[in-house]
Amino acid sequence: MAREGSQAKRVRPRDRKVAQWTRDYARLPGIPDEFIGEDGAPRAVWSRYFDAFANLSPDDIERRFRAADRHLRDAGVTYRAPGDADERAWPLSHVPLLIGDAEWQQIAAGIAQRATLLEAVLQDLYGDGRLIADGAVPAAAIAGSPEFLRAVAGVKPPGGRYLHLYAADIGRGPDGRWWVLGDRTQAPSGAGYALENRLVLSRAFTDLYKSMNVERVAPFFEAFRDSLRASADRDEPRIGVLTPGPFSETYFEHATLARYLGFLLVEGDDLAVSGDRVHIRTVAGLKRLDVLLRRVDSNSLDPLELDASSQLGVPGLIDVLRKNGVVVANMPGAGVIEARSLLGFLPSLSRRLLGQDLAMPHIATWWCGQVSAREEVLSRLDDFVVEGAYGPTVPGFSHSGAVLPAELPPAVRDRLRDAIATRGMDYVAQEQVRLSTTPVWDDGKLAPRPFVLRVFAAATEHGWEIMPGGFCRIAERLDSRAVSMGEGARAADVWVVSDHAVSTASLLPAVDNVRIRRITGLLPSRAADNLFWLGRYLERAEATLRLVRSLSAPQRDPGKGPLHHAIERIQRLLISWGATSLGARAQTASIAADALQSEEQFGSALSLVRAAQRNASSLRERLSPDAWQVITQTAERLAKPADDEEAVIRLAEITLQELASFSGLSQENMNRAVGWRFLRMGRRIERAVNTARFARQFAYDEATAEDLDVLLTLVDCQITYRSRYLVAPLLAPVRDLAVLDPYNPRSVAFQVEEVNEHIASLPSLKEGGLIERPQRLAVALQATLTTAEASALNASWLFALEQDLLSLADAIGSHYFPHGASATRPEKLTGLA
Amino acid sequence: MIYDIRHVTSYSYGSQVSFARCSLRLTPLTDAHQKLISHSIEIKPKPATRTTRTDFFGIPTESIVIETPHKALRIDSRSRVEVDRVPPARDAGSSAWESVREAALDCASLDAHAPVGYVFSSALVPIQPAVTRYAAQSFPSSRGILAATADLMRRIHSEFRYDPKATVISTPLAEVFEKRHGVCQDFAHVMIAGLRGLGLPAAYVSGYLRTYPPAGQERLQGADATHAWVSVWCGNETGWVGFDPTNDLLIGNDHIVLAVGRDFSDVSPVDGVIVGSRRQKLSVAVDVVPVE
Repeated sequence: MAREGSQAKRVRPRDRKVAQWTRDYARLPGIPDEFIGEDGAPRAVWSRYFDAFANLSPDDIERRFRAADRHLRDAGVTYRAPGDADERAWPLSHVPLLIGDAEWQQIAAGIAQRATLLEAVLQDLYGDGRLIADGAVPAAAIAGSPEFLRAVAGVKPPGGRYLHLYAADIGRGPDGRWWVLGDRTQAPSGAGYALENRLVLSRAFTDLYKSMNVERVAPFFEAFRDSLRASADRDEPRIGVLTPGPFSETYFEHATLARYLGFLLVEGDDLAVSGDRVHIRTVAGLKRLDVLLRRVDSNSLDPLELDASSQLGVPGLIDVLRKNGVVVANMPGAGVIEARSLLGFLPSLSRRLLGQDLAMPHIATWWCGQVSAREEVLSRLDDFVVEGAYGPTVPGFSHSGAVLPAELPPAVRDRLRDAIATRGMDYVAQEQVRLSTTPVWDDGKLAPRPFVLRVFAAATEHGWEIMPGGFCRIAERLDSRAVSMGEGARAADVWVVSDHAVSTASLLPAVDNVRIRRITGLLPSRAADNLFWLGRYLERAEATLRLVRSLSAPQRDPGKGPLHHAIERIQRLLISWGATSLGARAQTASIAADALQSEEQFGSALSLVRAAQRNASSLRERLSPDAWQVITQTAERLAKPADDEEAVIRLAEITLQELASFSGLSQENMNRAVGWRFLRMGRRIERAVNTARFARQFAYDEATAEDLDVLLTLVDCQITYRSRYLVAPLLAPVRDLAVLDPYNPRSVAFQVEEVNEHIASLPSLKEGGLIERPQRLAVALQATLTTAEASALNASWLFALEQDLLSLADAIGSHYFPHGASATRPEKLTGLA
Repeated sequence: MIYDIRHVTSYSYGSQVSFARCSLRLTPLTDAHQKLISHSIEIKPKPATRTTRTDFFGIPTESIVIETPHKALRIDSRSRVEVDRVPPARDAGSSAWESVREAALDCASLDAHAPVGYVFSSALVPIQPAVTRYAAQSFPSSRGILAATADLMRRIHSEFRYDPKATVISTPLAEVFEKRHGVCQDFAHVMIAGLRGLGLPAAYVSGYLRTYPPAGQERLQGADATHAWVSVWCGNETGWVGFDPTNDLLIGNDHIVLAVGRDFSDVSPVDGVIVGSRRQKLSVAVDVVPVE
């Protein structure tokens, strides 16, 4: 009793904190806020959240924020700003946007209705054209859109629909209602980021997340995947995510979606049209692809019928659509419905096509292609925001986004006025709307920021499924209207909060309808190429590191290291590998530092690890986050300048260990499917070439004991040699150990044997049972190595071996990869025919 | 007037081409003023598949796939066409150009003949303020559309230099306009850009000119290759009228229409992708002979 009494008298620190945060929160006048209601008190869902949040100590909060940021960085969640070569870490707001269950139901209903309407409008526009003929939509409102694809007019969309995934940007207007700000029907982005944000925040705040009863997003993705599967015309269809490639600003998301949904990540080059079907180039030849979830814009999809300069698409794709040979989601041309010129007509279209009023309003929009609207806009231009009617830019302005006439210099505003008078159809005017704010956490305080919420809808057999949550972008500037990630905004997770416990379904399908399979999927040739080179670059980096380490050995242990001429040989090797540009006369220490960390030298350890990182970044959907993290960390560490020689050696040592841990990870964690074989082959081939070269350099015909000693160190065989021979290094035994010994895991023979095993397990491309070139070379090499005698080896034999190994590597490349000697990239016919 | 037309397109490649996929738009149009009497296309090497469809613009388009390895591709198209087209006089009365602009926007059709499809920028014809200002000089307030357009055509003909070496297919419109030179395709694109900038519907026409002029007349520019000109919608009454800025002519019986689209990319007579060679050389030969 006494305890309860004393507790009741105390003001709990938790309540004090929440009260303090609320007091400090400077709401913007005249604009609704998500956190604080009209009455100045926190709204119920936010109270629940911050009460729980306040239970965490400030240190704990900071620790969790850092954990979230670290997770984002480690997982490699990145975004590439337009025109930016480097990927950037994703800025995540640590406070989610909260929306109560009841309010969410209304949003979801509004979005589902809108998706239904847009699908119906698309069916008509590309089909019968009743809406245009009856004047329900002016022809010019459509004809001006570059997304109105004449090439697919009259083509029935394979799979039966135009929209498979739809997104709407919404915001809360001054009247407290949610408004649609724009439609995304081309290839909506953000769903993958929403998924990643959810993962990060729910991990960093597990208890909080659980206690809030947050609706899960997994069932949405499950429904989307099932629906795409069902759209194909065969059981167990092959589905690809078509990406423009690693230089796309949202490449990370494409990889995330592919990995999460279990689809293949493909680029245009990976696909080929043959017969009336689209096929994917794999290491086992062309394989039919049934469904393409595209993240490439319509006009870039087919250089034969659409933008001729595009290299992102597949020649002949549109013709396959005509023949109902592939489902493309969303159907090319679906983007036409994003045109702002249409907005004003949607309310009446909704009544006509659905017999319903639009449940969710959109921003009031005047399309200046109509005389009355144009006159109204010109009469009070400064009251409006002007946008392009059909695209992201306002014609006459180079930047993308809206134009505020009131803020333009007079001359520019006059030009805009003239342009609207002459070509009004290119412009829309919209009401200026200021959006509601949501709290962000800055330096221990809460501050309001405007935001836009992107909501996603997936078409399923049972109607539109809405992702509970979405992708929220928060503006840094308080007066910001349009929000774009390029403009220094941050993202937030979106929690749809329920009063009752939520179901915990995950992406695991019901057990009884899955066929057990051991080897999954196919390996696209491009992925095989990247895996092979990932292996080669990592192995080459390792060889460079070993050279650097042996170069620095004498300083560590004076009198015991290699003599001067051996050092000179190491230096020459580093120079010929492009690891350093410093002449042979330069100080050993500076050569070591250069070969390790030079930014300019393509053969330095740093450059090689970065090259490996580039390959890995194109393989994001295939590598475990751990493996990606090891490579990223290694590259980052190598890029930090080492202070002195001691530090250089230490850095080389650490890097060697890290590379070994990558090998370990891939060995232990990668499925023993075809992809793993290409990674291993890359490593093995590269190691074989390097070892052969080391042997030629340090076990030459007149090699001294010191030279041989260096070789034993480079190939990590000191202990083995000593345990076998008990004498100082001698030429024939050392050559045998380094080149011929099939039991030594670093010998050339060992590498070739493994390469042979891999090649034998790969699918054969040709019919007729003839042995293919890579296998022919590998088998011959293995026979040579098996039958050779160490005493008979000499420098020219070693040189020939090296050349044979390089030919084998080339043969693998041109046989399995699209960019090899038998390049298959299609070229456009040019000239004015 | 009846013409026999022979149009031979030859590609030769630097190395063996293992695969080709092409679209051919080589069948002359049939409409109220032009009739296709006979037509055939011979292709070497022989394609694995040939399929014909009519595209959005009403152009018969043949898709071919060649799977025979080859170092040269030859497409030999022969047509016999009857033309009966009387152009309006340059100074014939016509609607004020501003009213044509409003009428074009008013139409309730997206099909290939509807003027509204030709008032917007397209792949090769961006609308550019400088070109619009240039065109605007021929369009004082309320001037008749025929007279104004004919004046713009005349100015392009006299102020731009015909120079087959100056431009290639990918030369941007802005450069053609700035340097005031190019070939028929360039002049047509510039004229279209100017008209569309003013909100007027203008289409791109690919076609042929008779190779040798009637006795006593000068040989026209562009007669030994495919030619290009502009079709302008002059209001509901007058409809589409052809203007050839390369020769400063309204289109009559010396021109044979192959195809009409928004710009060259819609009507390109031979278009395609090949696998196996980066180097390619193109030659085109056109022969247009009146049938006596």
